[in-house]
Amino acid sequence: MSTTMSMSMASFSPLTRISTTYSSLSKPHHHPNHSNNHFTLTLRPKNLPLLSLSPLRASAGTSDSAETAVKPPPENISVGTNGSASAVPVAEEVKVSSAFVDPRWVAGTWDLMQFRKNGTTDWDAVIDAEARRRKWLETNPESSSNDNPVVFDTSIVPWWAWIKRFHLPEAELLNGRAAMIGFFMTYLVDSLTGVGLVDQMNNFFCKTLLFVAVGGVLLIRKNEDVDTFKKLLEETTFYDKQWQATWQDENSSTSRKD
Amino acid sequence: MSSIALKSFLGLRISSPETPQFSYRPKPITHRRKFTVVAAATSPKIDGRNLRVAVIGGGPAGGAAAETLAKGGIETFLIERKMDNCKPCGGAIPLCMVGEFDLPLDIIDRRVTKMKMISPSNVAVDIGRTLKSHEYIGMVRREVLDDYLRNRAKENGANIINGLFLKMDIPKEKNAPYVLHYSSYDGKTGGVGEKTTLEVDVVIGADGANSRVAKSIDAGDYEYAIAFQERIKIPDDKMAYYEDLAEMYVGDDVSPDFYGWVFPKCDHVAVGTGTVTHKGDIKKFQLATRKRAEDKILGGKIIRVEAHPIPEHPRPRRLSGRVALVGDAAGYVTKCSGEGIYFAAKSGRMCAEAIVQGSANGKRMVEEGDLRKYLEKWDKTYWPTYKVLDILQKVFYRSNPAREAFVEMCADEYVQKMTFDSYLYKTVVPGSPLEDIKLAINTIGSLVRANALRREMDKLNV
Repeated sequence: MSTTMSMSMASFSPLTRISTTYSSLSKPHHHPNHSNNHFTLTLRPKNLPLLSLSPLRASAGTSDSAETAVKPPPENISVGTNGSASAVPVAEEVKVSSAFVDPRWVAGTWDLMQFRKNGTTDWDAVIDAEARRRKWLETNPESSSNDNPVVFDTSIVPWWAWIKRFHLPEAELLNGRAAMIGFFMTYLVDSLTGVGLVDQMNNFFCKTLLFVAVGGVLLIRKNEDVDTFKKLLEETTFYDKQWQATWQDENSSTSRKD
Repeated sequence: MSSIALKSFLGLRISSPETPQFSYRPKPITHRRKFTVVAAATSPKIDGRNLRVAVIGGGPAGGAAAETLAKGGIETFLIERKMDNCKPCGGAIPLCMVGEFDLPLDIIDRRVTKMKMISPSNVAVDIGRTLKSHEYIGMVRREVLDDYLRNRAKENGANIINGLFLKMDIPKEKNAPYVLHYSSYDGKTGGVGEKTTLEVDVVIGADGANSRVAKSIDAGDYEYAIAFQERIKIPDDKMAYYEDLAEMYVGDDVSPDFYGWVFPKCDHVAVGTGTVTHKGDIKKFQLATRKRAEDKILGGKIIRVEAHPIPEHPRPRRLSGRVALVGDAAGYVTKCSGEGIYFAAKSGRMCAEAIVQGSANGKRMVEEGDLRKYLEKWDKTYWPTYKVLDILQKVFYRSNPAREAFVEMCADEYVQKMTFDSYLYKTVVPGSPLEDIKLAINTIGSLVRANALRREMDKLNV
């Protein structure tokens, strides 16, 4: 019973100290002599990104803020990968540039004033910036800090911006598919039965076909979706089946006990 | 509940002319097939002694069961292998447990009234604003809680045995006793225990996720998560931040299907994570969790590393003959939050109550039908809770966009109120329909936005 625990404890006994592994989750080896130093060192470098923000922001007050914003992240990535492969002195440098830095990212949220284009906020740029930030964080997870909390909420981007950017292209695609299918099916039915478009719309069977066609176009957008739906159906009832399992053998087990 | 009790006792009185026979008369088959069997009516009266019940495992489930049994006048044996066992456990108990189990307030180390949910992109949301001043999540040390419940059972007349359960002989005849084989450590200081046997009429398996009782009755397996936790002693100023706050970190880096946590304990914090599908990567997930909490646990020292399996769903068979499983052994851990202490204690109590009723306070032999009543009651009472949490896990722990949406939703006051009400009082409370519709729209909105961002992210650096 305790074997799981004792086994895991035995294998983890080397980890008696906290060690940091910056930007390399796949390499959990640590430097026993320097592990404590890592913590005191991190306090200092953390301030540097904030300092670097102000000079950058001063120069980026104009519309070329987008350009300067692009530069810091690629730099950070390259320094990071170099730093992780070498020893401790360079590791300090790694910590400096490992945080997400962007002149428009102020106090844990996007400064909408910096996204202005022709007098109104450029929501597309906000969405792009947030996507970039999340992508960055996925590959370089950062510690969540109380001093610099992230308070960005995607709902500040208005609903029509989302629709214009994401829904409309997809809607165009799907409507196109539905229209093509509809036209072809109408032609086919007409040539087979002689019933024209208007009369087809009055027919229940044709209306059902239309419903199926529209539904299919909406739900099945990629080939993989067919399998996804089959699995989804099974998934919704799986948990229920696990709970009912004990009732299934109520009759069989009691008759066995006799 | 009172109506069920009435039914069985009514049954006793109505058919009393034929019942006082304690020979092994074969029961009519028709009774067996019926769901709501009033078995006590035809079960034989025990001559000269009370019903003997063994509870294997002395955790919350075992302790609660033993106490209820002992109070009900049943001869109870509680077998626990390690009396000072320090279980690796989150240690969170809901408010209702304090009231329902009459827990003294001094076994609660901390009252957590604030929680912070942190999304994959480090958006941090504070929840707990809607809590009233008397509401909290209690953080306990398992060794303290388990000990208290066991002692209370002892005070009520249960026999506490320090021993390791080995195996059980299933009886061949109908009302023959179960023979338990265990290694007794009573009166011994270290070393191997003494092999002892014990004959009982009913067995309650409360021996946790790796239950041996479950193996003995062929209860089947369940999927389980590995929960890995490190107890870290952090400097006092950092500890002050966690005075009444617990954190939950979600993200693919922290766990693909669960969450990472920082829970405050008596004088240190427990930092951990868990997973079902990627058990081999648990160390990687733990490192990621520590990294995410890095600033707040800076300068800490790991004082203990522990891991434990957590069941994901009930075992296929929770009951066989006169053996019932409760707590983790049965698999009563919720999805999404991974909560098990309250459900363990409650199921232990419910099972014990069913035995007390079915045996008319220990005077009659019970049979499987009486124990099935406990399962019926349990499923009926808590099925909505389990199902809702399952749906939440399926929807919101799927992917990073879903987790981002989850954290965004948690910022909403209505969500917080509903979540805490259902967590603290263990009832799925129906809120106002208008708010529910607003919530549904907001949820869909959040999910759509997060997924749209994910599509943008995929376009970058591809």
